[in-house]
Amino acid sequence: MNGFVSDETLHAFVDGELDAAEREALLARMQSDPELARRVCTVRSLRDMVKLAYAEPPRVHMGAVSEPARHTMLRRCAFGCLVLSAGLVVGWLLRGLESLPSVASAPPLPAAALQPVSLARVPDPNRVMLHLDNAAPDRMLAVLDEAERLLDEADREGRIMQVEVIANSHGLKLLRAGHSPYAERIARMHRRHANLKWVACSQTIARFAGEGQQVELLPVARTAPTAIGEIITRLQQGWTYVRV
Amino acid sequence: MKTIAATLFGPSRPSIESLRPVLYRIAYAWCHETALADDLVQDTLSKAWVQRAQLRESGALKAWMVSIMHRCWMDHLRASRDFDNVDDWQDALESSADTPEACCDREQIVACVRAAVATLPPGQRQVLTLVDLEEFGYAEVARILDIPVGTVMSRLSRARAALKRILDRKMQQAAGQPALRRVK
Repeated sequence: MNGFVSDETLHAFVDGELDAAEREALLARMQSDPELARRVCTVRSLRDMVKLAYAEPPRVHMGAVSEPARHTMLRRCAFGCLVLSAGLVVGWLLRGLESLPSVASAPPLPAAALQPVSLARVPDPNRVMLHLDNAAPDRMLAVLDEAERLLDEADREGRIMQVEVIANSHGLKLLRAGHSPYAERIARMHRRHANLKWVACSQTIARFAGEGQQVELLPVARTAPTAIGEIITRLQQGWTYVRV
Repeated sequence: MKTIAATLFGPSRPSIESLRPVLYRIAYAWCHETALADDLVQDTLSKAWVQRAQLRESGALKAWMVSIMHRCWMDHLRASRDFDNVDDWQDALESSADTPEACCDREQIVACVRAAVATLPPGQRQVLTLVDLEEFGYAEVARILDIPVGTVMSRLSRARAALKRILDRKMQQAAGQPALRRVK
């Protein structure tokens, strides 16, 4: 598979329509071609957003919204939408940056080039989500190290720190019983820190199930309907988002 | 016993009825009107009941019912020529001068994606929602809508490109806003 990958092929890949050989070839190419990986990511997040938009369609008798009210609401939602897509894209773009800003007052993060983003005017340094969406061993390790570092530091300074690790796509591996290379360390961290939560994306689980793989999570993990939904909810609550 | 009954008499009433929420979601994503979506679902359910003997493989129940609903919607569009006035949506989408506080509501984000989907031509909208919401395979979508698989792929491709264009435009307007900041 050389040359430019057409949009049709990318969509077929994301929708699981390619055969095993084509899929392997494209996956291998994504490793070395960040632009291609970015395009795949865009298609995935578009699909997730459409899914989210119709997860709960309005019921029938709600039709009596007056015309002007509807327009105001549309204008507002247009704005909300732009912030969502900005968040997604900024999060993606910034992950490759060389400079390493830190979460609020904390010292610089490790070399994994983490970049925090927050929707709140005054970001809360004590509530942090760490989002993992791939299964690269160094990323998994970075998530655990970062969570531990944040919590330990807060402990030393007597602050109350809440950390949530959100795993979707290939990152789900971190939370799968029998697949996770760090199951013991996660259990240990869970016992040590009451404010550390582990969240798995149900959509990803459903996708694995659709491919015939039974997904069993570590006992410490809970599920959210979608990782994106969880992230948006947390951002609205003032959490800081870090894509690992 | 159940399988034999299903093969002889078609799907049972409860199994048809249980698809109501799924059908409603699809219908709403197609027409973006709650009342019309409800009518479409109602129509589909009663037609499915009448024609139940035509369905032989019970595994294909959902796809079969969606294809019935597709015909119902086509009938409706033909009868009323009632396509959305795209200009209206465009106006609503392009005016974004609103307060930053208004931006953080999940409901509004949801409504915005819906508004963007509603600007797509009906054919593209159908393909997009069947693939994205219900995760039908391309071949299934082609059967449901009675179009070639190549058309499914090209419509999907165009639909997603248009959606991205609309959302990207919103994002560029956001660049000047203070609502999203890097945290130092």
